[in-house]
Amino acid sequence: MVLTSFQNTKCECGHQNAVGTVLCEACGKPLYDDDSNHSILEMRYDGVARKSQKASPGLIDSVWNFFSSVKIAVILIVITLVGSSLGTIYPQESQFVNVDASQYYKTTYGTLGHIYYLLGLSHTYESWWFITLLVMIGSSLVICSLDRVLPLYRALHKQKVRKHDQFLKRQRIVYEHELTTDTEQWLSDTEQALRKKRYRITKNDGALMAEKNRFSRWGPYINHIGLIIFLLAVLARSIPGWHMEYYAAFPQGEPRPIPDTPYYLQNDHFTVEYYSDKEMPEQFVKEGRVMPKLFETKATLFRCVSNCDDPVLEPKLEQVTKYDIRVNDPFEYDGILAYQYDFDLTPKLISVKPMLKDQKTGQSFGSFDVKMSNTETQYTVGPYTLELREKYLDFALDEKGTPMTKSQEPNAPAFVFVIKGPNLPESGEPYMYFPLQKDKVRFQEEAINRDIMKKLRIEVASMNDVSISESTSYLNIRKDTAMPFVWVGATISMIGLVMGFYWQHRRIWIRIEHQQLLLGAHTNKNWFGLRNEVARILQATQLEVDAKAIDRGGNKV
Amino acid sequence: MGKRNKVVQIVILAFIVVLGGSAIGAALFKSEEVPVVGSRVPDIKLQQLNGEVRTLSDLKGKAVVLNFWGSWCEPCKREMPALQSAYDQWKNKGVDIIGVNYGEDELVVNNFVSQMGVHFPMWLDRKKTASKAFGIRPLPTTFFVNPDGKVHAIKLGEVTAEELDTYIKQMIGS
Repeated sequence: MVLTSFQNTKCECGHQNAVGTVLCEACGKPLYDDDSNHSILEMRYDGVARKSQKASPGLIDSVWNFFSSVKIAVILIVITLVGSSLGTIYPQESQFVNVDASQYYKTTYGTLGHIYYLLGLSHTYESWWFITLLVMIGSSLVICSLDRVLPLYRALHKQKVRKHDQFLKRQRIVYEHELTTDTEQWLSDTEQALRKKRYRITKNDGALMAEKNRFSRWGPYINHIGLIIFLLAVLARSIPGWHMEYYAAFPQGEPRPIPDTPYYLQNDHFTVEYYSDKEMPEQFVKEGRVMPKLFETKATLFRCVSNCDDPVLEPKLEQVTKYDIRVNDPFEYDGILAYQYDFDLTPKLISVKPMLKDQKTGQSFGSFDVKMSNTETQYTVGPYTLELREKYLDFALDEKGTPMTKSQEPNAPAFVFVIKGPNLPESGEPYMYFPLQKDKVRFQEEAINRDIMKKLRIEVASMNDVSISESTSYLNIRKDTAMPFVWVGATISMIGLVMGFYWQHRRIWIRIEHQQLLLGAHTNKNWFGLRNEVARILQATQLEVDAKAIDRGGNKV
Repeated sequence: MGKRNKVVQIVILAFIVVLGGSAIGAALFKSEEVPVVGSRVPDIKLQQLNGEVRTLSDLKGKAVVLNFWGSWCEPCKREMPALQSAYDQWKNKGVDIIGVNYGEDELVVNNFVSQMGVHFPMWLDRKKTASKAFGIRPLPTTFFVNPDGKVHAIKLGEVTAEELDTYIKQMIGS
């Protein structure tokens, strides 16, 4: 179709049409074809001009026209599909818990992997060009829809009942017949038959229009609204604080902060249970398989009420709630989700509560609590005071024989106290204390403390005085504020699809002039259904027609 | 009607430019989660050993060398003398050298400092928040921060006296 600004767009019925109109907006007469043409009319958008079809587009119109093109939309979608597939060649950076991406791709996948990383394909879906494509698809979706839905709405809203002969004769379903009965009677019979089929009817001067399920025409546009909400929700994840996902270790009994929230999560206890031999099939037992039955983290959520960002003071926490996190049964609170991910059952020493005893009498002066981290430096036990002078969490001697710590894990803790009190020198006497039995032997505690251990002894009475973290639970923490909007978008989109798929917009126009009946019918899909419906309606008025015979479109559906 | 059309068009295109622009902008100028060379360092607020709470932004206008260390780490011990002599050499020339201890007790840090015989400022990262903000993986890691607060260089592992000298001279442009 060629558009020029010189086109005469006035129809013979007197209606002034907009540039780009194919069928007169009022009477439906084809504007460009001569009367000898009998081919089936192009009924898309009811023949009205799309919004973008302007005589002389300016800059804004040009941008608008670009995005209003379905061809452009298809091209954009294809480019996006190809782009997304690039992101699936190697794993994306976001899938790793803790790796240095600049090294990972090189070492795992070689030079190609490094090129992949350098091209930024290791984070395809967050890259500027991918987001640009999404934005362009979004724009195309909005503009394509508006460009069509507004004119279509107007065209369907003010339909003229009496259509041009040409309009009716060139529909796909056409029926012409010389009526022998009373036309008024026939028309009212037909009206009744149409109403039975739930058509809405408008009449005007011997002409009749029956219409049903017009709402299905809005299906695609409602679908698009849903998709746009979906897309906006996905883009909204880049708003700070809307999206978070990470994996973290939660050692038993230590509240850990959840970043950008006032919350702390604590692993109170982690359990892993396995199926017993009795519960498993014989085959599995023979193979020596171990089948986990349950992974469970008993968790407590705290809210920090003060000292939250203080570099020195411990945060003040208030308990919010408790939950037992299991696989596929995450903890959820205030948009934060915590999933069971992994565990580590290596026990870790948290604190010991030894007694200070008189070596000779065995009398205890009392006990004191020595924590492995943030250890206090002053203790008073009975008449004695203990001052912590040195602390090694993983005790060892370096090549020069000086004490050192090998790591920051309490694998072999050692504490040097200076004890003051009765029968001890004024300046105090040092005591090197190893809480773990294996270290007492290995590092010869007795020999180091030979003198003072004749008078005093620091030791735990039982395992009850030792507090141990039995496990570390690894949890996957997620926050996705946009998720409800994603669901809303998906739901609206689905409603739109259902509207468009399961109903069809059907229209039947009837004109009677001097006993001559002219019927034209149109649907936006399922012609088979429409032609049968028309045939049945005509049968109800004693006109026997073959459904196939009135369909000029052959057996196309 | 033509006028209304135009308004609808402009409003919708404006929406697209604003929303789309901000989404693309966010992807394009995504702030790195951890500082890299050329990016601005996060402000950290830590207690100085035996002293008051300090913030990194207080040192703006000076070149800063931030050395993250732990008492169990052998290369951290080896580089301490080099850091101390660089501190002595540059302390009055607009360069600050600061050690950031990775979450150990004050007592341990005190013992370490006196054992090593160093006395340049030590900050205590008790909650490991600063180390997290700087994305510290191996210890030691040394950040060289320009007077404008941008990262000049990052050294993973033991830093040598020559490297300290070279980077510091580059930072203060002498």
